Amino acid sequence: MIELRQLSKQYPPNIRALSDITLSVGKGELVFLAGASGAGKSTLLKMIAAIERPTSGAVLVNGQDIGRIKPSGLPYLRRNLGLIFQQQNLLQDRNVLCNVMLPLIVCGATRPDAERRARAALDKVGLLDRAASAPQSLSGGEQQRAAIARAIVNRPQIILADEPTANLDRDSANKVLDALKAFHGVGVTCLISTHDEQFLDAADRVIYLERGRFVESWRRQAPEGAAS
Amino acid sequence: MIAWLRHHGFALADAFRHLLRAPGNFLLNVLVVAIALTLPFAGLTLLENVKPVAGQLAVQPEISVFLSVDTPRERANAIAADIRRIAQEDRTTISLDFIPREKALDALKNRTGLQDAIGTLGANPLPDAYVLKLSGMQTREDARRINALAKKLESVPGIDTVQIDSAWMERLAALLRIAQLILLFLGCTLGVVVVAVVFNTIRLQVMTQREEIEVSRLVGATDRFICRPFYYTGALLGLIAGAVALIAVALLLHPLNTAIADFARLYASEFRLLPLDWASAAALLVASALLGLFGALLSVRRHLARSA
Repeated sequence: MIELRQLSKQYPPNIRALSDITLSVGKGELVFLAGASGAGKSTLLKMIAAIERPTSGAVLVNGQDIGRIKPSGLPYLRRNLGLIFQQQNLLQDRNVLCNVMLPLIVCGATRPDAERRARAALDKVGLLDRAASAPQSLSGGEQQRAAIARAIVNRPQIILADEPTANLDRDSANKVLDALKAFHGVGVTCLISTHDEQFLDAADRVIYLERGRFVESWRRQAPEGAAS
Repeated sequence: MIAWLRHHGFALADAFRHLLRAPGNFLLNVLVVAIALTLPFAGLTLLENVKPVAGQLAVQPEISVFLSVDTPRERANAIAADIRRIAQEDRTTISLDFIPREKALDALKNRTGLQDAIGTLGANPLPDAYVLKLSGMQTREDARRINALAKKLESVPGIDTVQIDSAWMERLAALLRIAQLILLFLGCTLGVVVVAVVFNTIRLQVMTQREEIEVSRLVGATDRFICRPFYYTGALLGLIAGAVALIAVALLLHPLNTAIADFARLYASEFRLLPLDWASAAALLVASALLGLFGALLSVRRHLARSA
């Protein structure tokens, strides 16, 4: 489903964010990217979402090399990805429902259909009663769950979440994680970056990065050695 | 097709949503653009009003030939043959009208309403006259031929004065052509001003909506989807400003017409300035909207490319 081949990213003048990463994530897997701040987790997710371009190497999503997709084709790639970031990126001048409807409107859904599906997505993350609320009136955990609802409303095949539990208290973080696990339960591939070790038990697989390099990867019951 | 319409509907609604979020800024921009548009619109209105007047008057070049007051009627009638001969020698096609002095006096009485004053004169002070209408005279070379013909006519015994009636019309037509050129230049210059104002307005809007643009990109919005509301904003700005400018010009005509009416009365004329007809007004509105759209197009292309 996701394949990275000798992926490197260098920022000017000479900062190497990622070095020679090779790994793959299978369909329906729940994979955590772990590592300290600056390990390259966010950069890796941004390159899978085609927000950043690799300096060298290739990113394949569903067998398609996204480096070869023209800029005009990237929106159609992103419609198959659910993106969740540390900053929830909810639009403050629209209510929660309108925020969740946005990906559907972008795809040309009718307003009633978009509203129905957005309400269903909010229901799944336990926020239906806050649909009409302004994002700033929600707690950090609720905002993150609203962002998850927006990410899954288009029924993406892949969810990429960058530190979705950062800055949240334990209870809120658990709710966010439960929401993500629920979508993984219905066959969605999830790639989640975190530096919080306590959530790693939920993963099918954990990939460790350190200073932009692959360190090790282990599966839930059978840890494996370096497999890059 | 339906999805395309739906996207446009969303873009238009989005444009309105952003306008209503900061109506003060939008209205100020409308005002600036409207001021820039008012001047060429007013000029065009003026030209459109003057053009028909000039058109009615300048049908054909005319030469008025006034005979001496003491020329007997027999000689006056004979002069027609002299005039035709001179025109034929000059290879000029003319139509000749004889206006007897009695008829001229009647016409003067009817036109000026000075019956009482003219009645006190006793004898008719007006001479017999001929009016020559010249066909196929439009170039500058023709104007020289008309002058030469007038000179020859002046030498005919019994003719007192020869007056080229169309000369002032030629000058008016030339003035109108100059005015049209000035208006075109003014229109182009102020069109650039409109584009610049819309360009800057959209630039600021792109900057304030940077976050929204980023989020839209992340959820799979195409550039066209992102750009459309800005295009609508630019077109709306131009359209509303155009409407404001047209209304301003129409309002301006009222005091102007009061002043013109006093002036026109001196020439026994009912002339007054009229607002542009619906078709011209609609064309100006479309042009204003297109200018706004063009400004938005330039701005969005430049600033969205930078933020990508």
